[in-house]
Amino acid sequence: MKAWKFIGLRLITWALVIFIGVTFVFFIPRMFPSDPVENMISRMTALSGSMDAIQVEALRRQLRVQFGLEGTLWEQYTTYLREGLFGFNFGPSLMNYPTPVGEIIARYLPYTLFLSVTAVIIAWTLGNLIGLLAGFRKDKRLSKILEGIAITIYPVPYFIVALVLQIVFGFLLGWFPMTANIMTTADTGVFIASLLRNSLLPAISLLLVGTGWWIISMKSLSASVSEEDYVQYARYRGLSERRIGASYVLRNSILSQVTALALSLGGVFNGSLITEIIFNYPGVGKLIQQAILSSDYNMILGTITISIIAIATATLIADLIYPFIDPRIRYS
Amino acid sequence: MRKLLSLLLALVMALSLASALAESTVVGTPRNETLIVEMQTPTQTAGQFNPMMQGTNMGTGIQQLLWGNLFEIDTVKGEQFPSLAASFPVSNEDFTEHTIAIRQGIKWSDGVDFTAKDVHYTMNLMLTNPEAPSNGYYQQIFESIELVDDYTIKIVTKNSFPLLAESIGVLIWGNDLRVVPEHIYAQQENPLIFKDSNPVVTGPYTVKQYDELGNWILYELREDAQFSDVGVVTGMVPQAKYVLFQTFGDDATRTMTMLSNLVDIMVEVSPENWEVMQGNPNAAMWYPDYPYALFDDPCSKGISMNCSKAPFNDKNFRWGLALAMDFKEVSMNIFNGAGRASVLQIPATASMQELYYKPMEEWLENFELEDGYKPFNTNYAREMAEILGAQGIAMPDDDALLDDMFGIGCWKYDPEQATKLFIMAGLELKDGKWYFEGQPFQFTCNILADTEAQAGRGGQAAVDQWIKFGLDVTPVRMTNTQFSNANSLGEFDVGAYWPSCAIIRNLYRQINGWDGDLIKPIGERSSGGNGERLNSPALTAKIHELAGYSSQDERSYQTSTEILKIFVEEMPFIGFHSGTKFVPTNNTYWTNYPSSENPYNGPWWWWSAFKYIVPHITPVN
Repeated sequence: MKAWKFIGLRLITWALVIFIGVTFVFFIPRMFPSDPVENMISRMTALSGSMDAIQVEALRRQLRVQFGLEGTLWEQYTTYLREGLFGFNFGPSLMNYPTPVGEIIARYLPYTLFLSVTAVIIAWTLGNLIGLLAGFRKDKRLSKILEGIAITIYPVPYFIVALVLQIVFGFLLGWFPMTANIMTTADTGVFIASLLRNSLLPAISLLLVGTGWWIISMKSLSASVSEEDYVQYARYRGLSERRIGASYVLRNSILSQVTALALSLGGVFNGSLITEIIFNYPGVGKLIQQAILSSDYNMILGTITISIIAIATATLIADLIYPFIDPRIRYS
Repeated sequence: MRKLLSLLLALVMALSLASALAESTVVGTPRNETLIVEMQTPTQTAGQFNPMMQGTNMGTGIQQLLWGNLFEIDTVKGEQFPSLAASFPVSNEDFTEHTIAIRQGIKWSDGVDFTAKDVHYTMNLMLTNPEAPSNGYYQQIFESIELVDDYTIKIVTKNSFPLLAESIGVLIWGNDLRVVPEHIYAQQENPLIFKDSNPVVTGPYTVKQYDELGNWILYELREDAQFSDVGVVTGMVPQAKYVLFQTFGDDATRTMTMLSNLVDIMVEVSPENWEVMQGNPNAAMWYPDYPYALFDDPCSKGISMNCSKAPFNDKNFRWGLALAMDFKEVSMNIFNGAGRASVLQIPATASMQELYYKPMEEWLENFELEDGYKPFNTNYAREMAEILGAQGIAMPDDDALLDDMFGIGCWKYDPEQATKLFIMAGLELKDGKWYFEGQPFQFTCNILADTEAQAGRGGQAAVDQWIKFGLDVTPVRMTNTQFSNANSLGEFDVGAYWPSCAIIRNLYRQINGWDGDLIKPIGERSSGGNGERLNSPALTAKIHELAGYSSQDERSYQTSTEILKIFVEEMPFIGFHSGTKFVPTNNTYWTNYPSSENPYNGPWWWWSAFKYIVPHITPVN
């Protein structure tokens, strides 16, 4: 019974977080001092020098109707809740009318997930292992070297790492492409080869900095746990250092890292904007950026709603699996 | 350890070999057969080539290589020419019925003849479908579009409409009327949401392959390119088997791309980036030496003033702002002096310089403000030559060449006269500070934050000059949408806008928005062109008069000239330079791009006219 209450409460929290989040996302862009119709007109006017006055008026009327901006704010909001939140139909992208937002997101999201999820998971695994070593066996020379590397890399902004990688391996050595051009329509083999080749530098830039952070946080956690009485007790009992590290220190240190991993995984739906810009890598980050700059309300709603749901769901999953990792939560 | 080292060495060698063998493009085509053109932005509608479907990103090579227009623009002469049409429209006396002959001999890329049926079908698609591009406009203008025979259409307009070719043909960049094949589109359930991923076209290229993520599109030359619109009109066929439109990311990457010969044609770079790109000896610009840039982009940049707000509604004040600026310093701050001064409401492009600026030079010299002051400085070009010469930049001695380089003149820098004009406009100067209606006078200048470097730098330079003069002005940097909204709603004081475009002799299409009858109150959106809300009855009357003349009618030129004089008197916009563009090319694999030494066209790779440039570009070996 307690378990059901635990799950129920978390599900209610999850739903509330999503509802409040998407409500904000609906109203905030509409408070911007901008308008998608005017943005479209200014884009077209900028391209064609200037447009006939009659043409501008006609276009303005035509676009307002097509973009569905004619109803009241409340009508638009209820439509969004019904269609967008519950039906995952965010309507057409206003800047790419009439292509549906869902179609565009579906095209870019896999690349964001591939790049970011891979980088986050590898960074998390490597970082925690090294961090554990650095914290638990802090007197070892290797631990000190690895910790030194982490402390050196971590403060460097990841876009600086990205730029250095691009200049050295893309421009000077020419080993990897400076910008991503993935052969999306080629045969599977060619596609995979081009995906790997084009993703390597962006992934390394994310990985290096991400790993640094996980090392530092895990080192601090495991160093603290290593001083606990139960770890000393385990030593007195004569358990091997490997077993103490794995069963006592790691298991007790990893809890907050799991939460942080869940949040990081949820956050990958936002993309990695700067990496995407530097390497011209296709991803959701640039979609969000362009949508905000062009007041593409539907695209903003689509991308951010997915992100809110992803982060809320990741947190929910972390909450739900906690009891399996930490028996203390299960018993309480 | 040794094994690991050997493995690493092998990997390094393999990678080096791979890059050495990179005489192919990123999409695998031979580099020497592929012209690589920078795409301005990635497209989010990859695989969508239908020009009738909204959201199709036309500037990604689609309008440049695939689709044809009835009338195209010769950017050097500033004249339209018939492309898919065989000749200009023949109209009845009151310009309500227009007959257009369609060019014979053109074939669609699937071998079917291009005929008037295609034009008739496309125009009716636009006229009758609310979702089609320009539908609202077509509804207001056209009564009917009729098919006369296989190579003739007749257009009936609701009212007298002398500017048909200008409205349905290309002037600047492109035009919505891109003719689609009836035999393909009529088969579609809804041709307006048919993506057309494998388009059948009249242009010289077809789509070979594209990136679903929108970073590149590969075009392949039609085997029967002699029957394309370009082939039939010019008798020439492009030599590049492939044209790859590709995006390159941020400015630093674009520069490295040019240095690495991974691109042949770029859209626009800053002078600072160009300085670095010159590390590639094959990189070129319009001029081989200073000023490098081309001055013929058909929109001049400068400062717009909101003529519906006091004291900006007083032309004495507007003139005061113009004379409070040292334009030579402004010019140096924008692109180190590069740029042709554009004092008229139109840009001083090469063609406009000959058509309007030089013929109006004497009038400008003699032009007087209300108090008899003559504001025009005819010596500007020589003064600029002196400043730049002192920097060690070689300058021509010939006055005519200097006029072509810097323009025939600009407004004087005269703080004393500016002070006088401000006082005439009701401002007061107390203890070195300006007051208006008893309050300290402050105003803002809107500047576009990220794009359009020329306009942005110009805005900042103007602010610096006014502050130096003693005015309290604040620059406000905005996103594109905020910037255009402020102008449209009239919620600004001054701003670095550019309501100042022109490419052909008849100025009606570009200046009709200044019609005083269309002015909206502050807070309501303007109808294009007159965000400045200048209400001049004389100007409105002339615009109405111009609406009745065709471009071939000599009276259209005379009236256009008179309109430009009214603009000078009213001064709603202080023109700085004509559009100055640094558009680099790379002569490593391809050559014979248009340049100052071979100006067969302007370097407008992003315009529809690019299809008429490609046949001239030749391989280096």
